[in-house]
Amino acid sequence: MNRSGAVGITVHAVSKRFVIGGRPETLRDLIPAGVRAVIGRRAPPRAERWALRDVSFSIGPGDTLGLLGPNGAGKSTLLRILSRILRPTTGHVEVRGRIAALIELSAGFHFELTGRENVFLQGAVFGLSRREIAHHLDAIVDFAGVAPFIDVPLKRYSTGMVARLGFAIAAHVDTEILLVDEVLAVGDAGFQRKAIAHIRRLVRDGRPVVLVSHNLERLAELCSRALLLRDGRVAAAGTPAECIAAYIAGDDLPPERRNGRPVHIGALSLRSAPSMRCGERLMLHLAGVVSPRPSECRTTVAVRVRALPSEEAVFRTDAVACGAMLPESGAFNLEIGLDMNVGPGFYRIESLVGEPDSTSEWARGPTLLVRVERRPATVGRAYLNPAMRLLGEP
Amino acid sequence: MHVSAYATSVQPASLGGLRSAAAEVAGNRELFYSLVRRELALRYRHAPIGVAWALFMPLLTTVIFSLVFTRVVRLDTAAPYPVFAYSGLLAWHFFASTLRAASTSLSAHGSLITKVYFPRELLPLSSLVTALADFAVGAVVLGAMMAVFGIRPTVALVFLPVVIGVQVAFTAGLAFLLALGNALYRDLRHVVEVVLTLWMYATAVLYPVDRIGGIIGGVLQVNPMTVIVEAHRSVLLYGELPATLPFALTALLSVLVLAGGWLVFHRGEGDLAERI
Repeated sequence: MNRSGAVGITVHAVSKRFVIGGRPETLRDLIPAGVRAVIGRRAPPRAERWALRDVSFSIGPGDTLGLLGPNGAGKSTLLRILSRILRPTTGHVEVRGRIAALIELSAGFHFELTGRENVFLQGAVFGLSRREIAHHLDAIVDFAGVAPFIDVPLKRYSTGMVARLGFAIAAHVDTEILLVDEVLAVGDAGFQRKAIAHIRRLVRDGRPVVLVSHNLERLAELCSRALLLRDGRVAAAGTPAECIAAYIAGDDLPPERRNGRPVHIGALSLRSAPSMRCGERLMLHLAGVVSPRPSECRTTVAVRVRALPSEEAVFRTDAVACGAMLPESGAFNLEIGLDMNVGPGFYRIESLVGEPDSTSEWARGPTLLVRVERRPATVGRAYLNPAMRLLGEP
Repeated sequence: MHVSAYATSVQPASLGGLRSAAAEVAGNRELFYSLVRRELALRYRHAPIGVAWALFMPLLTTVIFSLVFTRVVRLDTAAPYPVFAYSGLLAWHFFASTLRAASTSLSAHGSLITKVYFPRELLPLSSLVTALADFAVGAVVLGAMMAVFGIRPTVALVFLPVVIGVQVAFTAGLAFLLALGNALYRDLRHVVEVVLTLWMYATAVLYPVDRIGGIIGGVLQVNPMTVIVEAHRSVLLYGELPATLPFALTALLSVLVLAGGWLVFHRGEGDLAERI
């Protein structure tokens, strides 16, 4: 795909093994290890974990690769290998171009030093010469919006100011390849807009970008290609939409069944399309059984909606609240309707057994995944069903 | 299509050539200057009399030992005792404070190492250059003392950079080993403290060792730090070149220590981000 020599990264069958524990960390720990070796006893077993297994891909000019996958899938490990912080256990990586990693923007900061001194230090960490930094100093300070505090020690800065300063320095590194790890999660909305505009600019210039984000919508928007990692292996590779679909599909939680509960949920199914636009009504069907045993506590079935992949619970309600009384015993069928007045994204609908009007969760039933698509010219985390009309002449 | 001048390969740990390692260190000299500048800025910020602080310990030791070895026991030295002691302490402090700072240079910068890539050599080397700055300040005081005691430097002084070069090589090699060692075994620095204390008394810092006989005397004579400290005195105080054979052997040993220490460091640095 790449002509050799063009700016880019080629990853050849990279695997990374971490050894957890079992390794002496002090000279004092070496003494029992030595004694064990002398008397022929075996060392305590070490745990091994393969954070990456046989990962290969390649990116070149104009490619923006999104890395996605659940926590612990190996995304950050891969990024740290690309930026040379870690060495692969087997396989190798070819990097053609000057690389800048926006992994930890404040790594080189020292909080006793002033903002100005830190700009020079951190700029050097990113590979800038003193002259280049002096040249960009005003622009950096301006971008970060910390001009009045530039000669104040960094320990007096707010967290947001530190993050902005870190990004401002990184943004002025003349990089050929950019690695971004979730740094966009810091800072306020205005800062995030600036950061995204900066990444877009690099993409437009045809610089290869590797982006890790849990924000699937943003990934779909910024990236031209994607790679889904699961347990260190490449689970899917292709367009962002394909990888997001594969990620979401595998994210379905297995139903958790606990015995001894008076209500059992058998099935949860969709009665409308799995994909809808903001504000449209989602229809569900829930089938369950109430066991004939008498129970002391009040029990009902509830539905909970979680935003993915943040897992934030955005809504919960139960059958009692909706005026649906379950039978004393025997099978029941429940029709559920929800207006999806939420922002665009992926949502998991969970069914569960619990007390009415509470957050209790005694047993979880099946879950479903749905996608909510943006309506044109609307932005936000909620959909407020807007209406505007011009009134007649006053 | 844009073609880059930079190309790197990220591979499993290997015994890479020192030449490429040295080239990489040279390529990152801006970061190196910044690290040294930061060390110095932090040090002198917290002690307003920072420069004086760098001089205080050697001077105090010089005063105490001058009292002991001129009033309590008379010690025959080739130069007036205070100058003899201070010149020895100056060279020794450069060595010892480099090793002390280098031991913790990696373990103290864990967050930097796990989050950014740069040649890790820069950290122990910046400890060395910071100590060299203190050495330079101390050298001014030594010059003043020599003037007070009427010692004129001779043309042998031009050999001083060679002596310092040998000491830098020897010290840097050990600094690499200790930095890596303490990153892997956190309590190594305590051992370093003990060894440095013993090593100082086994070196001709506060007293000459050339008249000590027997096995102990022999050990003290081959101690490379004795040769280096005495070489400092030769070119500064006695106006002569250091004794050829011991100095040549020490120089050779220093180059070997530097190459060996750097090789071991270079081999181990790839796994630092996981082990720190």
